[in-house]
Amino acid sequence: MTPRLAARGVLLVALAAVWALSAYLLWQTKVPSSLHLPHLDPRTYFTAAQLRATASFSRVNDLIFWGTTLAQIAALAVYARWGIRWARESAAGPIGTGMLLGMLGFALVWAVELPFGVLDLWWQKRHHLSSVGYVSYLFGGWFSLGGQFVFLCFALAIVMGFARKLGERWWIAAAPAFVGLVLLFAFISPYLTPTHRLHNAALRAVATRLEAEEHVGHVPIDVETVRDVTSLPNAEAMGIGPSRRVVLWDTLVDGRFSRPELTIVIAHELGHLARNHIWKAVGWYALFAFPGAFLIARATRRRGGMGQAEAVPLALLVFVVLGLLALPLENAISRHREAEADWMALRTTHDPAAATALFRRFVPATLDEPSPSTIDYLLLENHPTIMQRIAMAQAWRQSAKK
Amino acid sequence: MTEHPVQLVVEDDLKRNRLTVFFRLILAIPHLIWAFLWSIAVFFAAIANWIVTLIAGRPAGSLHRFLSRYVRYLAHLYAYLWLVANPYPGFVGEEGEYPIEVRLPPPEAQSRWKTLLRIVLALPAVVLASALGSAGNAFAGGSGRSRTYSYNTSSLGTAVAVLGWFASLARGRMPKGLRDAGAYSVGYNAQVLAYVLLLTDRYPNADPTAMLADVEPPPLHPVHLVGDAHDLRRSRVIVFFRLLLALPHLVWLALWSIAAIIVAILNWFVTLFAGTPARGFHRFLSRYVRYALHVAAFLYLAANPFPGFAGEAGSYPLDLELPERERQNRWKTGFRVILVVPAAVVNSALSSALIVAAVFTWFVALVRGSAPWGLRNLSAYALRYSAQVNAYVFLLTDTYPHASPLEGTAPAQLTFDETA
Repeated sequence: MTPRLAARGVLLVALAAVWALSAYLLWQTKVPSSLHLPHLDPRTYFTAAQLRATASFSRVNDLIFWGTTLAQIAALAVYARWGIRWARESAAGPIGTGMLLGMLGFALVWAVELPFGVLDLWWQKRHHLSSVGYVSYLFGGWFSLGGQFVFLCFALAIVMGFARKLGERWWIAAAPAFVGLVLLFAFISPYLTPTHRLHNAALRAVATRLEAEEHVGHVPIDVETVRDVTSLPNAEAMGIGPSRRVVLWDTLVDGRFSRPELTIVIAHELGHLARNHIWKAVGWYALFAFPGAFLIARATRRRGGMGQAEAVPLALLVFVVLGLLALPLENAISRHREAEADWMALRTTHDPAAATALFRRFVPATLDEPSPSTIDYLLLENHPTIMQRIAMAQAWRQSAKK
Repeated sequence: MTEHPVQLVVEDDLKRNRLTVFFRLILAIPHLIWAFLWSIAVFFAAIANWIVTLIAGRPAGSLHRFLSRYVRYLAHLYAYLWLVANPYPGFVGEEGEYPIEVRLPPPEAQSRWKTLLRIVLALPAVVLASALGSAGNAFAGGSGRSRTYSYNTSSLGTAVAVLGWFASLARGRMPKGLRDAGAYSVGYNAQVLAYVLLLTDRYPNADPTAMLADVEPPPLHPVHLVGDAHDLRRSRVIVFFRLLLALPHLVWLALWSIAAIIVAILNWFVTLFAGTPARGFHRFLSRYVRYALHVAAFLYLAANPFPGFAGEAGSYPLDLELPERERQNRWKTGFRVILVVPAAVVNSALSSALIVAAVFTWFVALVRGSAPWGLRNLSAYALRYSAQVNAYVFLLTDTYPHASPLEGTAPAQLTFDETA
């Protein structure tokens, strides 16, 4: 073994250790490791009709997911093989041509995904979960594709710019640049979401109490109007530092949910902020960005590296495949954070009954399967299943009694 | 391609009588009333001619003569209104009596399918005619009084008329650029009207260079187009996603514009005091103006490939020749922002035509994989003028933008016979 090879090996081990240590620190949670979730039977909490409806809804959703994914990969595989021919339609230099090829790849994916998107919309409309018109969907999709083009060009300009300066080591500089961008986006995204302040004074008072109990400081509670497009209830914690806020969809505060149930929701979202989940999400992104960028750099070497426009179609395919492979892990990390936020909500509200009622109400409102199949769980669930969430409420009740 | 059967003949000498220019709109009132009455008759004659052409395969001689006179008369009237010509026109559309003349073909056999679908087929040309000046609307508006002779106020014809009015009053001459632009509008409108009224089944040709082929070209402007004009091939995929693909360029152009405005202000001070723009500023603004042309050419389908982001000379099939840094008149520099207003008005009118041309080119290119030559040349005209306006605003030249649809030609080199 040459000293150079040995040094590389040591460096690799050191980097792996840093990666593992960082992952370990990010994985830390307030949920007690000794907590045992009881096994619950969905039939105890949901009627047979509800379970049948969610299973039927989920079956078609699964088909749409797989159809979309396979069509996307097939389209990108074809594009990776033959997409380079579009380079002749460019009068720009390598980076500009790379941007054109990247945009055309996205356009192709958009085109092949379109039938599945329309099918998905039809399926949601059939279950009264969406009120988006087909024309609005098509035009909305078109304009959002334009937004994606702009971001893609920006990303490619960074990657190809570094690749032309640093050669194969572009990923060392590009990964931190993307982490910085994700951080910036995490900061500004609340300002880009059109919301208004929560009008319900009683709920605002509850939020103020929860803020104090979770030690998060003042966090504005905003409402986003979505009822024109969907009936799904949802909420999210957004922003970092001064841009932090909790956003409730107006479908959540339309009278379907009781005040104790909404208290659980707000406590859950404040729990995300109390446990710095947005920072942690950026941290996880950083942990995946470095190896991901490295793998793309390796995969595109035979096409001259990311400094060449010819590498872009292949890079798109590699990026999407890596994303798909990382999906189970990404979902596991997300579920871990969501479970912690649920635990924080229970710890703050001391109201497992309201939590159970809330999660039970989610099933008819969202048609989420209470206990999905393993493959769905791994690939599609970024929150604990409804039964896991109810089980956590029961477990908290048991631990509180002790 | 054979010559279009509807030909424009320009014999105007640019001289204008100030008195008739001043009262032009009022003097035209009898003509407007007469044209309105004539339009009503033409409406019924056109229907009769349509039925005859559909059955017999060619227009009736008497109807053809009547409608030809109407088309000619409207061309005279618009030429008078828009100050494209000076003399007061006759009321009967006599051939050969007016400096802006339209030559129309004799009755000839026409395709019955084209005749049957004429109104639908004519729609794109009517829309384009409306952007250039609404002779097409004049016929369509015959059935509704409020729409008859109501101009599209942002049309090229209206811009030519308003600016030409001031210029003619001041100088007693119509500027050649405006006259040529107005003549082109008159000619295109005549072709559209002739097509709608079944005087010919040849589709109107939007190509300004073909329309004004017999008109003397203006002198070469220091800002002019270069590159491969015959690159008509268009990739269908790139055409389909054109607007979205242009988005990164539009974002970049917007950012660059902010910097360009700041640099232009600094350059204005430098040019005002030193008499010559600063070298670095001139280079930077030249690139910006060229880049803006590349992006617009791509966006409006006047060229095919995806442009670069740096505005490099020679990098695009529709490119711009820009002058070197040169001494400029301080008065023109000082009042540049005011002086540019008339050019901006023409530019705005041409932009409407450019958008219409781009929309139609989009459809045609998607089907045929190539851009129509006429629309391409109209787009190139609008883009060239826009680039000249930009170059003037950003102090790259103090030569005023030339509104003529014709690309200028360099003056012939004088040679001296050494033996003489």
